[in-house]
Amino acid sequence: MNIDALTGNDNYFEDFTVGEVMKHARGKTVSEIENVQVTNMVMNTAQAHFNEHSMLGTRFQKRIVFGGCTAALVIGLTSQDTSENALMELGLDKIRFKSPVFHGDTLYAYTEVLKLSESDRDDAGEVLFRHWGVNQNQVVVFEGERRTLIKRRNYTVSGDSITQ
Amino acid sequence: MELDFIRKAQLKQKGNFYEDFQSGQVFEHHWGKTLNEGDNSHFSSLNLEANPLYFNHCYANAHDHPSVVINPMLVFNTVFGLSVEDLSEAGGLFLGVDELIFHRTVYPRDTLTARSEVISKRESGKNPSLGIVSWHTRGFNQCDDLVIDFKRTNLVSKKERSD
Repeated sequence: MNIDALTGNDNYFEDFTVGEVMKHARGKTVSEIENVQVTNMVMNTAQAHFNEHSMLGTRFQKRIVFGGCTAALVIGLTSQDTSENALMELGLDKIRFKSPVFHGDTLYAYTEVLKLSESDRDDAGEVLFRHWGVNQNQVVVFEGERRTLIKRRNYTVSGDSITQ
Repeated sequence: MELDFIRKAQLKQKGNFYEDFQSGQVFEHHWGKTLNEGDNSHFSSLNLEANPLYFNHCYANAHDHPSVVINPMLVFNTVFGLSVEDLSEAGGLFLGVDELIFHRTVYPRDTLTARSEVISKRESGKNPSLGIVSWHTRGFNQCDDLVIDFKRTNLVSKKERSD
């Protein structure tokens, strides 16, 4: 297996520039699979995410999407351009849910590169991203920062495992 | 009467309200969860995740991992999920997360547990029936190694709603 051929060649540490802003190519319409299934899978017991009947008397009138699902989907939508060649996710900060998300909403993702830093290894560097998640009406539903450790071009995969 | 059981039933209420939280209070959350390769692959695919570390075993091996890596967003969501009954199930919007750090890689068959401490609570300026509470949540693996920690803030309902 040619490990290096499995990921893109335009998203190594050296390819990012501070200040660049990306619109990611694919959006995704949020359905019960992304929300109800994942909410239940991760043991989140708040029924506002999975009991439609319980929401009828509220100002929302229907289930709202769990913010953790929104965050995971927005970051997922960015990942081919931001972290396909990441070695490790380091952290998140300033995550804000600006507006509720409902089943049937379509989310798109945008990213700004905020900072590039050396890491404690010479074959990878840290990138600080700011992400936005935007719905079909261009309302921002999610924003936040993310620190990721990304391979430099001199990164080499370990030889013994290629033969597996 | 056929529906007599409904009349007799007492609601087994879940969750805590604004009045139940005190600064410094610690919650050891219920259940714990063992993460598995299927949920990890499924979660990563649903979210269009492109990093093969989470779904290609050979790729993960070539990057010095014994197996695929659990998607860090699944780690976050699971530790968060385990905390919900104690912290936020009783209602109130999830506002944000700060200072989240992924401390340690999680692999399939690792078992996560969660613990939270109340950092602060205050009244909502906009809605007297709500308060704003922040917690520091930590997630641990089966060896009690810290794998994640973060600070989360929610609107939390009061017991006596004025609306």
